Amino acid sequence: MNTINNYLEVSELPNRADHLWRYTPWKRVHPTGKVKIIPDKVIEPRIKLLNLDGTGAPNGIELVRGEVDKIDLPDSDLVSTSFIKAITNESKWILKTEGKFTSKEPILLEINAEDDVNAIHLSLDIGERSEFEIVTIVKGNTNWMGLLRTGRIGKGSNINDITVGLQERGTLLRVDSISLGRDSQFKTGTVSSGSERTKADLRYKMGEIGSDLRVLGSILSRDSMHIDYHIEIQHEAPETFSRLEWHAACGGKSKTIGTGMLKVENGSKGADASQNFHNLLLSRNAEADGIPELEVLENEVVGCGHGIANGPIDEEQLFYLHARGFSPADARSALIAAFLNSTLSKMGSPQVHEWLSKMLSSELKSMNTT
Amino acid sequence: MVKSQEAREVVGDYKAGWHDSENSTIRFDSGLSEQVVRDISELKNEPEWMTDMRIKAYRHFVDRPMPTWGNMSMLKEIDFDKICYYLRSSGATENNWDNVPEEIRNTFDRLGIPDAEQKWLSGVTAQYESEAVYHSIREDLVEQGVIFLDMDSGLREYPDLVKKWFCSVVPFSDNKFSALNTAVWSGGSFIYVPKGVHVEMPVQAYFRINAKNMGQFERTLIIADEGSSIHYVEGCTAPTYSTDSLHSAVVELIALPGSHIRYSTVQNWSANVYNLVTKRGIAHEKATIEWVDGNIGSKLTMKYPSVILKGEGSHAEVISVAYSGKGQHQDAGAKIHHLASNTTSKILSKSISKDGGRGSYRGMVTVSAKAENCKLNIVCDALILDEKSRSDTYPTMEVANSTAKCEHEASVSKVSDDQLFYLMSRGHTEEQALALIVNGFFEPFTRELPMEYAVELNALMALEMEGSIG
Repeated sequence: MNTINNYLEVSELPNRADHLWRYTPWKRVHPTGKVKIIPDKVIEPRIKLLNLDGTGAPNGIELVRGEVDKIDLPDSDLVSTSFIKAITNESKWILKTEGKFTSKEPILLEINAEDDVNAIHLSLDIGERSEFEIVTIVKGNTNWMGLLRTGRIGKGSNINDITVGLQERGTLLRVDSISLGRDSQFKTGTVSSGSERTKADLRYKMGEIGSDLRVLGSILSRDSMHIDYHIEIQHEAPETFSRLEWHAACGGKSKTIGTGMLKVENGSKGADASQNFHNLLLSRNAEADGIPELEVLENEVVGCGHGIANGPIDEEQLFYLHARGFSPADARSALIAAFLNSTLSKMGSPQVHEWLSKMLSSELKSMNTT
Repeated sequence: MVKSQEAREVVGDYKAGWHDSENSTIRFDSGLSEQVVRDISELKNEPEWMTDMRIKAYRHFVDRPMPTWGNMSMLKEIDFDKICYYLRSSGATENNWDNVPEEIRNTFDRLGIPDAEQKWLSGVTAQYESEAVYHSIREDLVEQGVIFLDMDSGLREYPDLVKKWFCSVVPFSDNKFSALNTAVWSGGSFIYVPKGVHVEMPVQAYFRINAKNMGQFERTLIIADEGSSIHYVEGCTAPTYSTDSLHSAVVELIALPGSHIRYSTVQNWSANVYNLVTKRGIAHEKATIEWVDGNIGSKLTMKYPSVILKGEGSHAEVISVAYSGKGQHQDAGAKIHHLASNTTSKILSKSISKDGGRGSYRGMVTVSAKAENCKLNIVCDALILDEKSRSDTYPTMEVANSTAKCEHEASVSKVSDDQLFYLMSRGHTEEQALALIVNGFFEPFTRELPMEYAVELNALMALEMEGSIG
């Protein structure tokens, strides 16, 4: 009951001056559109942990129910976080690894959502000096899916984390609130080509010295999709490093939003941070909006910067491919694929990249870019 | 102190009284009411439509909440009841410095305005508190049909022209402070440049707040007719008091087809002035509007010079620098709306934060669905000189046309040790080296200013850098 009360206390419509809700107001994300309503029937999606090749997951990594010790999580938006906690009734899965867990075989976490409203709270408890790759796929035929990921990356760990959105329809609300331990390396990629409406609030905190964060995005929006990603990176310790590269190809009548916040707190000496958003506009009716924000309170930094670029497919590149025998449609598809691949190729190992490329190429074929 | 009631009794004959110990000829009581707004309008003997607009704007100001973004803690400190909304210190606007009251003339002498006028300006308006005290324009420009007046005279002498364009670019309902300005505006400049006329030397307006708890609400309207050009320069200063003053101007620029308006500002208000300004221009076919904007002073500045690119092939540029020292927050930026095809824009913003100051770039660029082949480029650079200061960048980009090419980049860094070492190895002290680096950082801005302003700005920045080492 407390979780419901916690949500109801903060559920007043968030101020649209707050850019998190500027382009996608909360009532458009809420399953019913009536923000004071807590849905009666919320289903927990089916989840499965296995290797990417389909064999069973190795020892040392497991999904268990329970609680994780208190973690110093990033500042997060209260509305979306408390809503998912309320509808999952504080029931959470923990993705747990032992210390020094390593796996050469990429791990796959399948989340399969069906029916009306689905939600899951997944807590990451990654032990110290672990090293592995994990691909999380969100799929299924559902009206609404909520995915809350909280947790910590243990000291000295090296993790490649990729989340793939392949939901056939409906709305996806995704919230990440993850802290990085000392000297850990966390690469987190997002591949999105599903769900009619996506609202994501991804926040990462580097509160311990020497952590290294890479955030990558390959977003394919088409038809009437509305895809809104907010990525917030918080540097709160010295010698921390972060890079964000976000590529979105926008076709049909879709609307793609990328908002970022890079906070470098006082005391983060030697911080090195940058964010870049690139949008490729593929059709006359597509729209791309962006607000990459920067707040720097420390002067002894290596550098802090951000950039955003929007543009059409380069005519010269199209001409080059035509001249070498590509049909107009093939040339266009090749350039879109190359644009998305520039971030996709950095997300994981060659094995993961090949797997992701196959998946994305079939999505590209179905793209309405006119 | 003159009461509002007394002011109403002698409206139209202000020379009969209205003195106070601060040499004011008219000073309204602090605080704002509908009656104060009516008094200002009546005092100026304005046409009915202007009074009505002021009243509507006042009601909008009262109804509209304070902004829920920006530095809300500083904004909350503004006590609108303590502000004096109208103060006149001179009997009339003079066109000869000898006729300006001695104390005011001395102030402008010390600011170098008469000297600059002789050397390099086409015209000058000097505003002291609520009203222009001096105004002049070169005769050859008058012969060519150029109108350069203070705004009150503009309304009296060219009511139709003012009625046509007033509030056409910045409606009073645009924001809380544009509503406040429209309700109580006084002074400012009114400029009309006829077709094909090029005003070769800049015209200048200088704004001075002298009294405590003063509100200055000038209104400027510049219309450049087809194929004309003009460069307008404004400067502003105020004495330092322990209590706060408010400067809330509205500037509207109309660049008709093929014209060119450049509007340069060197804002050096004292650190007790809230500087909450709305500046916007509308550019028609193949017209160009440039804002060259320097923010050195004030307690809190919230100013985002804007351009609406309405005509095909029009162009906008905003070059701005901001220096934020102790207790200052420079929340400045730019807004550009591409509504027509083949429009281009460029924003260059540079800021320095020192001694706990905060510099923010807040910008918005939009490209509408019908605007084909637009190009825009935004660059923001910031330097933070010490541990107590901060720098923020809040850019918004909304692109609804697939042919647009849009770029934004921003960086925040400290002064490079290599650059300091290089200059010090050539005999400069660390302080001199820092001042040189800072001047170099601002160079893209200063090179766009008239030489006299650029030299003054460099000297000002060197002064600000004093004591910043160790």
